[in-house]
Amino acid sequence: MAYSSSIYGTKRIALACFALLLVALFLFPNQIQGLLQYLGGPVGYAVGIPLEAIASIDAGIADRWEQYVALQGVREENQQLRKEMEWLRGQQSQLREAVAATERLTALLHFKEQALPTMVAAQVIGRDATNRYRAIILNKGESDGIKPDMGVVTPAGVVGRVVKTTGATSVVLLVTDPYSAIAGLIQRTRDEGIVEGTQQGLAHLKYIPLLSTLRDGDRVVTSGLIGDFPRGLVIGTITHIDKQEGALFQSAELTPEVEVGRVEEVLVIQMSYGQATKAGVGADLLEKSAP
Amino acid sequence: MKFLFYLTLVLLLVPLQTTLLPHVSVWNIKPDVGLVAAALVGLFAGELEGLLVGCAIGWVLSLFSAGELWVSLLTNGGVGLLAGFLGRQVSQVTSFSLGVGILLVSLVSGLCVAMSLTSFDLSQIGWMVESIVFPQACFDGAVGAGCYWFLSRRLNLTHLRTE
Repeated sequence: MAYSSSIYGTKRIALACFALLLVALFLFPNQIQGLLQYLGGPVGYAVGIPLEAIASIDAGIADRWEQYVALQGVREENQQLRKEMEWLRGQQSQLREAVAATERLTALLHFKEQALPTMVAAQVIGRDATNRYRAIILNKGESDGIKPDMGVVTPAGVVGRVVKTTGATSVVLLVTDPYSAIAGLIQRTRDEGIVEGTQQGLAHLKYIPLLSTLRDGDRVVTSGLIGDFPRGLVIGTITHIDKQEGALFQSAELTPEVEVGRVEEVLVIQMSYGQATKAGVGADLLEKSAP
Repeated sequence: MKFLFYLTLVLLLVPLQTTLLPHVSVWNIKPDVGLVAAALVGLFAGELEGLLVGCAIGWVLSLFSAGELWVSLLTNGGVGLLAGFLGRQVSQVTSFSLGVGILLVSLVSGLCVAMSLTSFDLSQIGWMVESIVFPQACFDGAVGAGCYWFLSRRLNLTHLRTE
């Protein structure tokens, strides 16, 4: 009898707790979300310790596997890379010429030299805990100055954007996720659009003007309109153009430049060119106004 | 002692879910071990513990996901609570029945999340159910059944359930 009454007591407490939680979430969704995020900051440190330990063991095993076991096709890959390197050398010499010309023109126009963006290097220690998002987890968080909405890149191009942080970790929504949106620019035609991820794990550029002369193989870079990414970082290459009759805009499918599923190290942009320049100007002004 | 066990469980579930399970994912789908753990805790320890541990697991896991913080908290807490209720009603639990139960619960919670994420857009919901929710539910059911089978061989589960 006492046993069954204690069961009913527990049941009631459990149901009351759940009902209270539901009511709180429906009545104050933003406050509860903010509270959960705030409490999550220190929890991130505690969870970060086993997470980093297991990620480093995992990375060690993966390195061993790649170095000793998975050597099939290395010779073909080597030949392919040599060819690619020769082609890139040619490109490099052309680009050097272009850089020299740009420097001369910049000097002529008296442009203020742009400050380099401030970046923080981070390691990928995991993937999204659910299957619903394409996201990666980094081993740097709030304590390293990382905040939501900061852009994440590799030397090859754009990876995504920070959406959530804890004390020691941060979550980056990849450019291939359907919920991701980045302002893009077709490098050749200078037409702007929005790059969104697709369900197939690629990306597409939306809202391209109808009169744009884009073609397959055109590169899409960040437009720099939103502060998170500086202008000119490669997002991907156009592989298919979709132009429907009666539509107001064109759209195009992209293959992302970075293979986001295999990325291991990234750079988080803490301050882009524009912000850095503004900060620099601000500092100059402060210096001048100081007595 | 129990608190320490649950704390360790929550701390270890994160690296398991985010670092190790992506290696065994099939078509980029991995099981939700948080949901399975919440169901097992609810089944063996009762509604209240199922709810509290489920909520804790859901909240900590959602800190490592791009999604909203309350989604996993509510679904895992609800699963723990439901498993606690069912655990008291059902006299004989087998690996198969538990697997089917987890499959159904995962399907329902996945469907609710899909509806909230896609704002009831039917084509999007259809795609999510076909490519994420259903395969994950099957995976969750299989993992839950496997865990129960493993635990039932190692521990006296009847004793645990009536404790």
